Amino acid sequence: MRGKVSMVIAVVLVLSTLLAACGPKATPTPVPQPTTPPAQPTTPPAQPTTAPTTAPAKPAPEFIEIGASIPLTGKYGSLGSQVKAGYDIAVEHINAAGGVYVKEYDKKIPLRLTVYDDESDPTKAVSKMETLFAEQKVVAYLGGAASDMHAATTAIAEKNKVPYLGVSFALYQIHQQGYKYLFSPFPKSPAQTRDVFEVLNTIPADQRPKKIAIFQEKTDWGVELGKMWTENAAKYGYDIVVHEEYTPRSTDFSAMILKAKAAGAEVLLTVPAPPDGLAMQKQMAELGWTPKFTLMIRAPENVSWTETLGKVGDYVTMFAGWHHGEKFPGVDKLNADHQAKFGRPADLLTGPAYACVQILADAIERAGTLDRDAIRDAIAATNMMTVIGPVTFNPDGTGNVLNPLSQWINGKLELVWPPEHATAPLAYPAVPFDQR
Amino acid sequence: MRAKRLAALAFVVLVIAALAVLPLFVKKDNIINLASLALLYVALASSWNILGGYAGQTNLGHAAFFGLGTLLTRFLWLGGWPLWAALLVGAVVPVILALIIGAPAFRLKGAYFAIGTLALAQVLNVTVANRWPMITSLPARYLATYRLMPRYYLFLAVAVLTVGVAYFLVKSRLGLGLMAVREEEDAAESLGVSGLRHKLLAFGVSAFLAGLAGGAFAFYHVGYYPQFPFSPAWTFDAVMATYIGGTGTIVGPIIGAVFYVIVKELLALKVVEAHLIIFGILFILVVLFLPGGLLEVWSKIRSALGGRAKSRKAALPAG
Amino acid sequence: MLAPIAQNLAFGILVGGLYGIAAVGLSLVFGVTRFLNVSHGELLMLGGYAGFWLYTLYHVDPFVGLPIVVLLMVVLGVILYKLLFAGMVKYPEETKVKNTLLVGFGLGLVLQNVALRLWTADDRGITTTYSSQVISLVGVRFPLVRVASFVIALVVLFALHQFLQRTYTGKAIRATVQDWEAATLMAIDVQKVYLLAFVLGTALAGMAGALVSVGYSIQPNMGLEWTLITLIVMVLGGLGSIMGTFVAGIILGVAQSLTSFWLGGAYRDIVALVLFLLVLILRPQGLFGAKEG
Repeated sequence: MRGKVSMVIAVVLVLSTLLAACGPKATPTPVPQPTTPPAQPTTPPAQPTTAPTTAPAKPAPEFIEIGASIPLTGKYGSLGSQVKAGYDIAVEHINAAGGVYVKEYDKKIPLRLTVYDDESDPTKAVSKMETLFAEQKVVAYLGGAASDMHAATTAIAEKNKVPYLGVSFALYQIHQQGYKYLFSPFPKSPAQTRDVFEVLNTIPADQRPKKIAIFQEKTDWGVELGKMWTENAAKYGYDIVVHEEYTPRSTDFSAMILKAKAAGAEVLLTVPAPPDGLAMQKQMAELGWTPKFTLMIRAPENVSWTETLGKVGDYVTMFAGWHHGEKFPGVDKLNADHQAKFGRPADLLTGPAYACVQILADAIERAGTLDRDAIRDAIAATNMMTVIGPVTFNPDGTGNVLNPLSQWINGKLELVWPPEHATAPLAYPAVPFDQR
Repeated sequence: MRAKRLAALAFVVLVIAALAVLPLFVKKDNIINLASLALLYVALASSWNILGGYAGQTNLGHAAFFGLGTLLTRFLWLGGWPLWAALLVGAVVPVILALIIGAPAFRLKGAYFAIGTLALAQVLNVTVANRWPMITSLPARYLATYRLMPRYYLFLAVAVLTVGVAYFLVKSRLGLGLMAVREEEDAAESLGVSGLRHKLLAFGVSAFLAGLAGGAFAFYHVGYYPQFPFSPAWTFDAVMATYIGGTGTIVGPIIGAVFYVIVKELLALKVVEAHLIIFGILFILVVLFLPGGLLEVWSKIRSALGGRAKSRKAALPAG
Repeated sequence: MLAPIAQNLAFGILVGGLYGIAAVGLSLVFGVTRFLNVSHGELLMLGGYAGFWLYTLYHVDPFVGLPIVVLLMVVLGVILYKLLFAGMVKYPEETKVKNTLLVGFGLGLVLQNVALRLWTADDRGITTTYSSQVISLVGVRFPLVRVASFVIALVVLFALHQFLQRTYTGKAIRATVQDWEAATLMAIDVQKVYLLAFVLGTALAGMAGALVSVGYSIQPNMGLEWTLITLIVMVLGGLGSIMGTFVAGIILGVAQSLTSFWLGGAYRDIVALVLFLLVLILRPQGLFGAKEG
């Protein structure tokens, strides 16, 4: 018996080490081939002719390796696919122009993006991040989607000292750990909780709602937003009449809705995941409570919202970080390519994901080297125009970016605030469900 | 026979030694990381197997003990306790839980016990999600000194301890009693083997080792929701790894865990898009063609080579 | 105060009806075959997408499309049984539970990810023109589609109950639930009974899924959650009792609703689970199950 035990252990061991050793060496599948061969920079930048430096000792690498662990399956799959589309299109665009000019090698080098699926599981994400570091030797990471996935992956970036650009999370807490390599050009909870009251204040005083209901999800982001909304409501002079908590994936929200209805609440602030948001909105219609203004972050940020709900889904607003109607350079090209690939203009998370690659390319060019710390410093000093508008970073890695408010109006996602980018005026107050 | 035993012992020592020096030769963090996860799954599956395989009680609440170990160790460790003390608390408290719920739970038979323990774990899962909704991620100063090597050795130690405990438990009188209870509880009782006491013991040991594995996970992981280790997925992973390897054996859970972790990861890296579909099909094929688990491959090879019918029978999973 | 409670109760009952019909399918399969098919939730999901596809591609009303969904699920059930489960019949009960758990696990993984490829990870649902219509009864609002779903579930289960009580095949199924070996001795074709039970379970799961896609939303990874709910309801109701399982589903739904109302939504699952555990300890055979011999 013991002989057998040890024999099997041996076989397993040999097998596993073999598998582990030979495994990740193979090239990963998603290798975006540069559409055009990396062209030499058209005009070599002014080289100081006097400099006696002999030709760079290091041969230029074939690619600039970047990588991302993205939830393509599992509960965050719908977010992850939007993010991946943004990265893919951005890398195509940059490589079509020959890649990124790196001064150290005096040539343009194309980007090579390796994407792995982490199944919405933070432990699997850690594995993928380590593989990207050890096998692809990435010079920078791009982020996945959702707060807890970012919490795991940013920590690995920090540990490996690799710059990290991520969107699709508004949780502020992640930025308060003292991480040096994390950058997120995405609006965070403080902006989202302040700006909603700025928007409400644009409504003429005689029509302005006063009574607010908060349906708070029992997650860190839900708690964070609930707290900040409460603080800001007091500051801006609004009354919170209902503040209810629920666990994610509750099928039945009738209790909260009835309380809000009974209290005469006029505004709903909430941050549900998609299944919860859909159920909530349906049940509000069924129970006959129509908030005059609804801010619902996250759940309505997908075309399937209006496909699923039809008129019931109208009038809902959200802070999604971006909108394809923004009037910034490059947005048209992004929309056109997204339209060609997916049959619709770019999704809400696709723009910010695209911007991450723009920022990274710009930083590498300014750094003039593929040294990770130099790229990190260059990202920190970012001051550029992207598809999400002008971007700079704060010391904690949060970005100074536009925080646009979108709204579903007649089954179309319109940009309603700030006014200079608006594609439609804010539709207020919402027409009661039974009159739509 | 004696020489053979010595050779076997030498071999086990050699394997452990090989695993111990692995990080000296393999410098890549991703491989050490994968090996760490494989060892974690060995510990999880082997600890589940003590109650699930040997005592025949399909416990679908294993994640509760793993999660509890993770929760306590994480908070105490980040709260400034020495790691060993945090690990100890994280392993002992699950035992207390197991002993409290054991007596009423063991009144349930078969599928009822399975679903009851599943529900119990879900109560803890939801409660932890309610009580601690914040992500626990390591602050930058912890990450500055974070090295994978100590984590790997901790996982190795936990895995070796778990397999060792399982081995000696099974070889002991207690183990024989356990299997007697599994096969025919009434008959065992009539021979003076207390079913409940044996099952409680197996439950406690299983919970202790799961809690310890949880503690190692808490020391290892950089960022997750406190609720995450309580997810029923951890239970299912442990059960599936044990079943696919061969339940009620020492080697089964080891093979199963290694298969489960490494094959899955390789698929994820090589066929990014459809890896879960392929893994699922592979999984079904193994079950359909090797109803006794992967261990059956070995015994089939053995029998093809001829002879040793006796030991083949011993290697086949029970039940 | 009274009106909101009545309203909550109504919603709890309507949700519970869905739990009930989904769990009856699982209970039937487990009771007859001892197959612990943990991909039950994934089968439910497929039914939901079948209804969704019929509605979006062919504009078939979700309630009219229900028989088509059931038919598709019957075909799927036969294929799955022949391909994966037929070989399990010969094993002793413990091995049967174990190996079907494994096959179900793998199958769930495959179905989930096939759905992901076909329909993406986005949440989907069906909203008909009459989706917001409500029947008001003494101040309590009953959404039309939910009431319709509930009534359909009830009718189908009643028909199933009659089938099991009155027909020869039905009696054979019940005999197999009670004593597998005795049934064989009585010349009941066990393979046929198993196949029938499995297919019925699949069809019920699919039907429940189609109703979920009308009242709520569906997504590829919804399976595990529904598998857990149906497992709990199955045990709560007790094996072998169709109506008992249905009532247990309603009890679970009502318990969740009232907990949300009095203690807040964060506690709904805890209270429901504790309730379940209490029942399990005090009445291991379930609320409506016959005591096991």
